[in-house]
Amino acid sequence: MQRDRAAWLMPQTDPLLHTVAHNLLDRLQDCKKTFPSALCLGGSLQAVTRSIRGHGGIEKLIVMDASHDMVQRCKNDYHASNNENIETTFVVGDEEFLPIKESSVDLVISCLGLHWTNDLPGAMIQSMLALKPDGLFLAAILGGETLKELRIACTIAQMEREGGISPRISPLAQVRDAGNLLTRAGFNLPGVDVDEYTVKYPSALELIEHLRAMGETNALSQMNAMLKRDTALATAAIYDSMFASEDGTVPATFQVIYMTGWKEHSSQQKPKRRGSATVSFKDIQKQFGNQS
Amino acid sequence: MVRVSKELMQKAATLVSDFLVCPLSKQPLRYCQESNSLISDAIAVSFPIKNGIPCLVPRDGKILNEEDASKPDNDTNL
Repeated sequence: MQRDRAAWLMPQTDPLLHTVAHNLLDRLQDCKKTFPSALCLGGSLQAVTRSIRGHGGIEKLIVMDASHDMVQRCKNDYHASNNENIETTFVVGDEEFLPIKESSVDLVISCLGLHWTNDLPGAMIQSMLALKPDGLFLAAILGGETLKELRIACTIAQMEREGGISPRISPLAQVRDAGNLLTRAGFNLPGVDVDEYTVKYPSALELIEHLRAMGETNALSQMNAMLKRDTALATAAIYDSMFASEDGTVPATFQVIYMTGWKEHSSQQKPKRRGSATVSFKDIQKQFGNQS
Repeated sequence: MVRVSKELMQKAATLVSDFLVCPLSKQPLRYCQESNSLISDAIAVSFPIKNGIPCLVPRDGKILNEEDASKPDNDTNL
């Protein structure tokens, strides 16, 4: 339901979403491979599908989200844009119960969508299974530093109102966990990259409204309780007083973690099995140690 | 009702059969023209197609009763 509401509230083009989508798609260009078939998982569907033409040699595209409204909007957008060179199928599907045949797609791409899921490792495994050998998993998710200013303001507001704080753990992934997530899901050659974006808002209340529009309030659901009317106002006031610049605008941090992983294939580099070394360190030392 | 060309229908059908499977059983789906849905025979569940968009989330699946399940003749083979 959360995503259905977001589908209608979200502005057609959100600068942050587009920046992240472009960044993600640029990584395709860096690969020497082409990806004839691609699965695009929900989040910032429109930002990706609008920019996807010409990237990565994609010929067949499956566009998927758990919200019918989101998919419908994407489909309408696609037909309106006359950009119909890529054979595209629109499907309502859940990344935790991925209705995609095993080893069938060359690329799985997800732009700011996977932090929604209740089971991120599970969703990543599903994606891995859907990929053909030597297929690529490319995802951008929000990281733990996101909206740190809001968290701070919330905490202080709570302290003032309730005289104490309950520790709040961000449900968003930490950068240090991303590599593990990739390897545990069974991907080879994991790559993790982080970017921080600072978005300026005219005021803290507008930030809170923007969050609701982006549909991100679910990812920060633990803060939802704080965003009740009166607490939201208190939080906004504290946020403004703590972080506002001279011109009255407030910054908000969005940390984006970019993850890449490859489906196993015999052509890929792999670390050798432990104990299978044929040269010992002693040998290496003998060879080079006397050359100081 | 928009008249969809045969070529487009076939393209759509191959896209479906090349990539899409039942979200629960991961088995192939078959298109049922009568009910405009995709049927997973493996678990006897049908998934609706709304506005040309297959809805393959588990909660949209409808368990078929015995009558529906035993009517394969009307269905299009992909």
